[in-house]
Amino acid sequence: MKIGSDIVKVYKDVHIWVGIVCGLMLFIAFYAGAITIFEKPLERWATPPSTLSPPPPLEDAEKLLAAVLAAHPQAAQRYSIVVNPVPDQPARVIWSERGARPRQQIEYGASFAADGSLQVEKLRKAQAAQMVDRMHQFVGLPLPDGIARYIMGAVALAYAVALLSGLIVLLPTLVTDVFALRIGKNIKRMWLDAHNALGIFSLPFHLVIALTSVVFAFHDPFYDSQAKALYGGQINWGEHEEAPTGSAPLPASQLLQQANAQLPGFEVYRFGFQRNRDGQLEASIVGLDVRRGARGRTYMQTHLDPFTGTIDTHDLPGHMDGWSESVNAFFALHFGSYGGNPVRWLYVLMGLAGAALFYTGNLLWVESRRRKQRGAATVEQKRSVRVLAVLTVGVALGCVAGLSTSIAAAKWLPSRVDDLMFWHEAIYYVVFFAAVGWALLRGAARSAGELLWLCALTTLLIPLSSLAGVWGIGGTWNHAGSAAIDLTALAAVPVLLLLARHSRRRMREGRADSVWSADMLPTVHATAKGALQSAD
Amino acid sequence: MNDAARTKLDSRHWFGKTSAGVLLGYTLSLALSGVIAGLTRGGFEGGSGKIQFIMWMVAPLWAGVLGFVFLFRDSRSAWLWLALANVAAFGLLWALK
Repeated sequence: MKIGSDIVKVYKDVHIWVGIVCGLMLFIAFYAGAITIFEKPLERWATPPSTLSPPPPLEDAEKLLAAVLAAHPQAAQRYSIVVNPVPDQPARVIWSERGARPRQQIEYGASFAADGSLQVEKLRKAQAAQMVDRMHQFVGLPLPDGIARYIMGAVALAYAVALLSGLIVLLPTLVTDVFALRIGKNIKRMWLDAHNALGIFSLPFHLVIALTSVVFAFHDPFYDSQAKALYGGQINWGEHEEAPTGSAPLPASQLLQQANAQLPGFEVYRFGFQRNRDGQLEASIVGLDVRRGARGRTYMQTHLDPFTGTIDTHDLPGHMDGWSESVNAFFALHFGSYGGNPVRWLYVLMGLAGAALFYTGNLLWVESRRRKQRGAATVEQKRSVRVLAVLTVGVALGCVAGLSTSIAAAKWLPSRVDDLMFWHEAIYYVVFFAAVGWALLRGAARSAGELLWLCALTTLLIPLSSLAGVWGIGGTWNHAGSAAIDLTALAAVPVLLLLARHSRRRMREGRADSVWSADMLPTVHATAKGALQSAD
Repeated sequence: MNDAARTKLDSRHWFGKTSAGVLLGYTLSLALSGVIAGLTRGGFEGGSGKIQFIMWMVAPLWAGVLGFVFLFRDSRSAWLWLALANVAAFGLLWALK
């Protein structure tokens, strides 16, 4: 396709600047996002074992509920009956009470002890998966949610522009470049080919992620402006349905039978009950139909009449109107919450490939600005090039090491501290900023290999923490059936070590006129040492 | 696209163009999302699913305008043309309502 060379030049500038400003934040969002795909197994892995006795059968849920309500009447406001208790939902009956902080809900679970007496436990919800999700949603920024969300939205919008501009730059040479991967002497060419191949083949995925993220960040302002411009000041969301009435709700075992008959293929996780403002009982059903996309990432939810067991299906995918079905698809396409585990693994790969896209983009920028050596004199690379190289290494690898360390800490924290989220975030940021500082101190070339070692070691801590849990060392634990997390982390270790070896080799044997060479001095010392060397 | 026949684009006007794309691009996509709502089944009273869908439409429209705004010759023409497009789109929206 023929596009004027001036247009290509302008869009190349747009692409480069968006990349420089947003690339590293996008790396964090994609790497953390790839991990959040398996947030449920991760949460399960990270949840400390419950001290409750094994849950009574579903048929006895009402007996347990009656005992709970007798001892804790406030539980009647909001409780659930769990159909299939798992480590992160360890009780048959769970209820939540308002905490001290706004919107904080403290969850309690109940069971019967061997002697038939009521047991109650404050559920120790794991925060590791949520910490990874925070880094994903707020592109790793240590800022209040409200601010970070808008920055993320701006980054997503810029990223959509980067996709379009990258496409425009590539289009004129698309036919010759698309299947080419020229690995050889010309390093810039190789990175460009890799960057182009990643970009063009995953373009639809990236467009979906970029545009959905813009909506995730800005839906409130969008609705507010549309209320004014389109709907005469107020959005009419439709009538609120009347709460069902009846004397006593059906037992959960009967609700489950009804649900299985009405929704074949829908796996029920739990039934939720709550009192509305008028004190009427409202119920919901939470579960998953893996044949359909889930707007709620890991579950689907809809209303249910607790007195008859009739499910109001109009909020479930497959039963919605066309508009809602499309909106549901937008969510599902972002979360990869359709098609079960094969699609999830595909999203992990796409997420990691996305992170690689931003990483190669930065390398490309560094490589195209390299000052080549002519003759014997050593050349010094430009300050901007050194800084970007250092930040690329420090931020990207700091994110990897920080997430690994913080995830591994999930098994050691609950027996030591109360505010899990604070500690998860603190650990992440300490490792992250230490890595960035180390990169600044040691320069891109040396720190790349060293920080990759750090990434490998911290990632190895994840299965080691589970291994410690097998023997119960230091308050750790290990759930049966959680090995997939440990094995995945273990598989990442040799990959990171291989990358570390590769970086070290390039530092020693690669060209000297490059930021990746050991001769290239760290940023902060470069000027002073450069002056010393020239005096020699 | 004939290189010789038109003035060459350059990157000098990036700030004016970007701000036009962000601000006028946003209002334009708002109006266009309303036009989509007005022209499709159910109009402005299409129920909660449609309200959500129409909200989602702002993102691709806005990103599209912001992406192509760099094709304008300079900042002035970006602001001018996008302002005109806004007038047209809001006029159409008003007519549909």
